[in-house]
Amino acid sequence: MKWKIFSRKKRKEQWRLIYKPDGDVADVMALPGAVVEGQVAGRYLLASGAIPGTVIIQGVRRKGLLAGVDVVVDPEAAAEHDVDVAYQPRGGRASLRPVETVNFEEMMLNASDEFVSVSTEPEDLACLLYTSGTTGRPKGVKLTISNFLCEQQSTQGLLDVTPQDKFIGVLPFFHVFGLSNVLLFALVQGASIVLVPQYSPGNLLRIIMESQPSLIIAIPTMFSHLLTLLERKKVRLPDTIRLCVSGAAPFPKEMIETFERCSESRLLEGYGLTETVGACCANPPDGVCKAGSIGAPLAGFEMKIVDADGKELPSGEVGEIAIKGEGVTPGYYNLAQETEETFRDGWFLTGDIGYKDQDGYFFITDRKKEIIIKGGLNISPREVEEVLLRHPKVKEAAVIGRTKREREEIVAFVTTREKVSALELISHCKEYLSNFKVPDAICFMETLPMSVTGKVLKKELTDDYQDERGIKPR
Amino acid sequence: MSAESNQDRTGLVESIERRAVSRPDSVALHLEGETITYKELNLRANRVANGLQGLGVKKGDRVAIMLPNIPEFVYAVLGNLKLGAITVPFNTLYKGGEILHILKDSGAKVLIALTSFAPMINEIRPELPALEQVILTGERNLLFAQPESTAFIQLILEWDLIKDVDGVYQKMGHILLQIVEGLGVKEAWYKHRGSIRVRGDKIASFVISEVEGMALINTVVFLGPLDIRDFLRVVWVPPEIRDKVVEPLTSVEQETGKKPVWDRVKETAVLAIEQGFRVDIKEGAMVRDELFGYEKLRSLAYKAR
Repeated sequence: MKWKIFSRKKRKEQWRLIYKPDGDVADVMALPGAVVEGQVAGRYLLASGAIPGTVIIQGVRRKGLLAGVDVVVDPEAAAEHDVDVAYQPRGGRASLRPVETVNFEEMMLNASDEFVSVSTEPEDLACLLYTSGTTGRPKGVKLTISNFLCEQQSTQGLLDVTPQDKFIGVLPFFHVFGLSNVLLFALVQGASIVLVPQYSPGNLLRIIMESQPSLIIAIPTMFSHLLTLLERKKVRLPDTIRLCVSGAAPFPKEMIETFERCSESRLLEGYGLTETVGACCANPPDGVCKAGSIGAPLAGFEMKIVDADGKELPSGEVGEIAIKGEGVTPGYYNLAQETEETFRDGWFLTGDIGYKDQDGYFFITDRKKEIIIKGGLNISPREVEEVLLRHPKVKEAAVIGRTKREREEIVAFVTTREKVSALELISHCKEYLSNFKVPDAICFMETLPMSVTGKVLKKELTDDYQDERGIKPR
Repeated sequence: MSAESNQDRTGLVESIERRAVSRPDSVALHLEGETITYKELNLRANRVANGLQGLGVKKGDRVAIMLPNIPEFVYAVLGNLKLGAITVPFNTLYKGGEILHILKDSGAKVLIALTSFAPMINEIRPELPALEQVILTGERNLLFAQPESTAFIQLILEWDLIKDVDGVYQKMGHILLQIVEGLGVKEAWYKHRGSIRVRGDKIASFVISEVEGMALINTVVFLGPLDIRDFLRVVWVPPEIRDKVVEPLTSVEQETGKKPVWDRVKETAVLAIEQGFRVDIKEGAMVRDELFGYEKLRSLAYKAR
């Protein structure tokens, strides 16, 4: 054993116990902090009784929350739910540094202001961005400096940003949409970003009102939260906003219209993937905007619809969306086989199913992996979901296929606005869908599992879903 | 890429560097009324690049970033670009298993994360031989305290007592395991650094920190189930990710069928610490200097903002 050092002393040391089973949350910080202060003070004042060790055992008699100074807390909610809120003081004496770690601020303080950038080639990797996809573990998408540069040009062609523009930085920067289309895009164009470190609808609206941005790039969930708040508070968005851009998940047509009416701002819908460094397709701000469409490819990207053999399909026919361009990733990190399977003749196969209309506008219908095959027939989960959403009591719906006793079943997971029976929903589906598309089971949920960008995580709805978050014994 | 298209493009950081010179006072970032100019942004990115270089980061090394949208995220991304290091950003909601996969797969040499993630990172760190440095920032600790559920055990020790950090992590883990077992929980286990678990669920957790040349070991043991709903109403978290905010937890009550009384918690903990550190522990009180510090810290903590 390594800890011989503790047993070297002959006489047992005496430690002190401070026992407080009925304290409150501030004590969790104040008691050890006081001992530290006391010992330091004692040392300098040469007071007697320097104590080698103190053990504090404590509980609380009221609910409490001990928060770092940067945590955003709602004091009204705290009062309403009887939660004490205690803050840790910033820096100084009570600031702890976990052992064997480096403090970011200290690292910066001790470093020089001057740095000559290391020379790089366009094909050097700038970023490895992990994406969970719908199945399996996250894959590392390789993104080169050239990928980012190409993407900056493509989005600049669409949005025409100037140094006067002010972006709302609410999309997480760890996600491709926030990293590429907000953080790097804004800075490369010399514009400014209003940081929103912690998202809540109220916090976002407050920051928008205070900071008067010109561009809001966000996801449908955030826009619909904003819409609810605007309607409730009977306010409009600031006039400074010239454009809103939504992406990362589909935004229902009616919602876009309602949002534009209530906010008096244009809302543009785009489409992009981690593999395309963000947006690669969008409705043009000044051209024809087609409802339900993800728009046309941005400059620098080519898109087409292909069949299972990779052959291009004419407009109107449904197939897989394939993309080509300098903005497209060279492949997945450490995954040669997956990379090979996802690329065909230099075209990246997105796994999204859709079609192109005669004007070159693209429409997405489904995710390839989510298509349900029942009795040899293809069923689009999206189609069933849309029918369910037409029912006034249904709030959200996610439809998946599942094998039960060697038979493929359609299962619908729904959240509801008010109570409704499974029978009522099934007969509602029967009204609009052919029999083989009607769900075999309806599961009522409190919430649907969602990604940070508001996509329903269907893999978490399957029976064999394994929670990867915990740490397992070996 | 054709040479032609290459020419009309400036690199990613070059345009920021140029702006830092041509329009140094133009604003790059706004954060709650404060602003960071392009000049400051570039300077801080330089400092990060120098700092990382000093820690041994070279071109092509992977630097993982697990941060929310705070200025440090921006400095780190730009610092990496200047250094030619590869940024590996990932979701701040990810938990142990997911983080482990990404850090392992990418072979990250450095991880930049919020201080509040220290215990979780500690726990997976021994499985990440490539990870040389963990850089922490931000004051976003968040701790829930609930009667019937949370017991806090804190040790304040002379730094000399914990010089051997691995040894103390080992020792404290086993003390905590002994406490949990002493309270009747079977099948709890401790691997290394961080948490005592039953199956994959956390039942107790600790972190060792340095403060003022002393060591502070902060421990929480879950006596009864922790109901986090009220807390999540206070720190706003989107409803659909609420179950992801806290990793799977269990408690003595859930594992044994009954909640231990406080006196038993005290006896069990004191005994385990006495044996582990080979000391005698006597109940005592705070001295004058400490009482003064205690009142001051409490009033600071509850000061309205």
